[in-house]
Amino acid sequence: MVQSLVSGVLTGSLYAMIGVGLTVVFGVMRIINLAHGELVMLGMYGAFWGLTLWKLDPFVSILLWTPLMFLVGMLVYRFLLQAIIPGGELNTLLYTAGLSLLIANLALFVWTGDYRTIKLPYAMLPMRPFGIAVPIPLAIAFGLAILITGALYFFLTRTDLGRAIRATSQNPEAAALMGVAVDRISMITFGLGSALAGAAGVLLAPSLYLYPTVGEILISKCFVIVVLGGLGSVSGAIAGGVLLGLVESLGAVYVSVAYKDTIGFVIFLLVLLFRPSGLLGVAKS
Amino acid sequence: MRRLLVLSAVLTLVVATAFPAFAQDTLKIGAPQPMTGPDAPFGDKFKKAYSLAVEEINAKGGINGKKLEVILEDHQAKNALAATVAEKLITQTKVLVLTGGRASGQAVEIASVAHRLKTPYVVDHPSADIITAKGFEWVFRNNPTGSIYPQAFNKFISDVSGALPKSASVVYDNTVFGKTIANSAMTFLKSKNVPIVNDEAYPVNTLDFKPLMTKVKANNPDYLLMVAVATTDAILLTRHAKEIGVTPRAFVGFGGGFGVEDFAKELGPLSQNVFSSAAWSGNPNDPATKAFYQTFQAKYGIHPKEHEVEGYAIIYIIADALQRSKLSGNLEADRDAIRQALLKTDMTTVFGKVKFGNYAGPLGDPYTNQNVYSPEHSVLAQWLNGKLLNVWPKANAETDFVFPDTTKR
Amino acid sequence: MRRAVAAGTIGVVLAIPFLTTNQFLVHLGITVLMWTVLGTAWNLLGGYAGQVSFGHATFFGVGAYTMMILYLKLGLAPWYGMVLGGIVGALVSLPIGLICFRLRGPYFSLATLAVAEIVRLVALNWEALTSGPVGLLITTLPQVSVGSRSVNWESKVPFYYLVAILAVGAMLATYGFSRSRLGAYLLAIREDEDTAESIGIDTVRAKVTTLAFSAFLAGVAGGFYGMYFRYVDPDAVFPIALSVEMVFIAVVGGLATVAGPIIGAIFLVTVSELFRERFLVGHLIFYGLCMMLAIRYLPEGIWGGIRRAFTTYVAAKRS
Repeated sequence: MVQSLVSGVLTGSLYAMIGVGLTVVFGVMRIINLAHGELVMLGMYGAFWGLTLWKLDPFVSILLWTPLMFLVGMLVYRFLLQAIIPGGELNTLLYTAGLSLLIANLALFVWTGDYRTIKLPYAMLPMRPFGIAVPIPLAIAFGLAILITGALYFFLTRTDLGRAIRATSQNPEAAALMGVAVDRISMITFGLGSALAGAAGVLLAPSLYLYPTVGEILISKCFVIVVLGGLGSVSGAIAGGVLLGLVESLGAVYVSVAYKDTIGFVIFLLVLLFRPSGLLGVAKS
Repeated sequence: MRRLLVLSAVLTLVVATAFPAFAQDTLKIGAPQPMTGPDAPFGDKFKKAYSLAVEEINAKGGINGKKLEVILEDHQAKNALAATVAEKLITQTKVLVLTGGRASGQAVEIASVAHRLKTPYVVDHPSADIITAKGFEWVFRNNPTGSIYPQAFNKFISDVSGALPKSASVVYDNTVFGKTIANSAMTFLKSKNVPIVNDEAYPVNTLDFKPLMTKVKANNPDYLLMVAVATTDAILLTRHAKEIGVTPRAFVGFGGGFGVEDFAKELGPLSQNVFSSAAWSGNPNDPATKAFYQTFQAKYGIHPKEHEVEGYAIIYIIADALQRSKLSGNLEADRDAIRQALLKTDMTTVFGKVKFGNYAGPLGDPYTNQNVYSPEHSVLAQWLNGKLLNVWPKANAETDFVFPDTTKR
Repeated sequence: MRRAVAAGTIGVVLAIPFLTTNQFLVHLGITVLMWTVLGTAWNLLGGYAGQVSFGHATFFGVGAYTMMILYLKLGLAPWYGMVLGGIVGALVSLPIGLICFRLRGPYFSLATLAVAEIVRLVALNWEALTSGPVGLLITTLPQVSVGSRSVNWESKVPFYYLVAILAVGAMLATYGFSRSRLGAYLLAIREDEDTAESIGIDTVRAKVTTLAFSAFLAGVAGGFYGMYFRYVDPDAVFPIALSVEMVFIAVVGGLATVAGPIIGAIFLVTVSELFRERFLVGHLIFYGLCMMLAIRYLPEGIWGGIRRAFTTYVAAKRS
């Protein structure tokens, strides 16, 4: 039982990080970025190539990939998305769906479908505090995820830029009236969301295996998390992530392994129905 | 206006290039395989294997003076596309015979099309029983069916003293492959009164097996049977089982993933003593097998395994049938002549002996044109110091098995 | 003028099996027509009503399985099974609509995605009903006669006409739909649902009815799939990829138009074949790119673009 809880929380924290990226973007721009999973995938491959080509440990190369993904995100926003957004939520959704297909399949073409793994010599066997198996890379990732999320929280609440982002998220018009450059903020936020996705990917890479279409699975979990916690709420995404991790872990053990993904979706639907603003959500306008 | 022009140009280009020109007078074998998409690595294995066999045969003068040609088409691991591709190969490219398919879902479609369009389909790898269990006269299969896979394992636990499991946890992926093998293994275990303490289907490409293994550990099974069609599942299953601390007397893997080099490479010491039930008894001490290994390695730089052998062997089987058929140039008559020739096939390939016949499978399925030697092809191997060696039956064994598993966890 | 073009096109479509002996081409034609039915089905809900569903494969799959199960287990002839497949699809859409229509816009889309996945997992695991991953296979179709001649199921011709009738029917239905009051309601809902409600339109009823009809068409297409391809397993009829392809056809072909889906289907199948055979690169890259380009530059789809170009041309000629 404790084992399930621990496994669930650890995995959940990584899910949470992916979710936070998505929710931040939605909060500010009301975009649901279906290509978010692919951004995570890019982070994962980044970690892989960093290790293979330059012998950089992923927990080190994260310092490189995170700003890079930030840049990529900003560019994607500026040159691809900015023109589409005025067309409406639905168009944007479809556009990001196309983008997701494009990125995933380009990756498939360039890097082939061979799955890859990241082998860290210090991570062969897990630690066993109190007889509970705790895989080392997951534990490190957990720690870093908390650090990053903490930093994000600090950024959003204590810095001017962060406050500008939150203001835009709550009410773009009012923010504009107060002198916030909404377009610029949107671009930065998208960059931020992408950076978080990429970072999550780097952290996840040693614990999972890599293949170009992994984004598909991740994105569906992502939605569940973000809706659970409430679209737009960072703390909600964190709670949602951990909750999903726990539900999957316990569900697999105590209900049924075959249906464990179903449980997530069912909860997703229930939340959408009965509490669409999520557990801690920002109300949708 | 400009957009319209561009559009018309694209469409014209599309239509114009849609039908490729075709080669000269060769004996054509059609092979639908996944050449793009996540299954592509497997398609590539078959491509290499077919090429090697075709080269060898053509170098020796071909078949009755004509050269052999394998035409690969990509079905992207989608059933409907596999049907489309099969249709194309049969009606447009006018191949004499089909092979390939790779995954069972696509192979079933191909078999259905081949049967209706009266073209022989000689199966090299797909293992779903249903392919040769529906009375399709035009479909032949060389490799063992899913339900035959566990035969060697069954023999092991029956013949080796003390090896009969006191309890077994069976974990398998929710694909036709996983289910069939698990079913077959469990049916046998039940017939020996072995209690099955876990019967768990997991979704393919699961990222985290720890909850599953937690469940398994709680039952403290004597044997842990793992079925995985995906290599990644095979690796993660084993890793997570050991991380969680499942300690059976034996870990037994069923499925391609447990038999590839990557398994030992990725898991390192964690792969020690894991059994792998395979569809092929490639004994490297057998001269023909050894020669094949060397040639393949020399040409492609990779060590061949199950898939490559199957592809290589099937071309030889087809070539043998073509050799014995009187081809008149009339497509329909020729295909039937080949079918008749296949019914009389009786030869040995690198893969093993082959003769097609009708008999009942281990779960009672009525097989049509299934290789009668299939039950002998199943072999149990074990990972010992990073090498996969055959350990049972004794006749095919390269070394002694290690049982029970006493590696430190 | 437009009717003449439409009638002419229908005529050509129906004549194709006689214009060519290339069976592969006929096979492609059947595939195109099947996708047209699917695209049309999706278009009703997605194009006209503006409710983007990422889970339409659910109804396709339900239709396919219904037909297969009724035929293989109860011996019910596949053509009845096909229609029943549509009906079951429509019935299934009612609770789904009930759940999902409480949500708007992207929330709705996500919900449909979740539902589709749940149904797929159920189909995969509920073996007693669906044989799980092993799937269901038809080896022979029943004897039947049309007029005095017995139908030859070995030939493609009966399948072609069956699906052609379905496709033409679906498109005519869309035409009728767009002209009806329900169609007008849907456009209002698509533009602004709250305003539509406030002027007295029963939006829930409109959406549910549309979904039911859309699901019916998709279900019938599913039944056809089972008959023609003869093998159904959960990954063939329920995957998200299939739902996405339906969206692609309608979006790239032309949202909320009658002819859009057939153009989209032709495009999809042609591109798919071309890429599959000629280029090593997966055609999905092209899909993704096309979808992005379409939304960016051709929001009315290819058909919309053609129509606009035609109108501009006619106007230019007049002046």
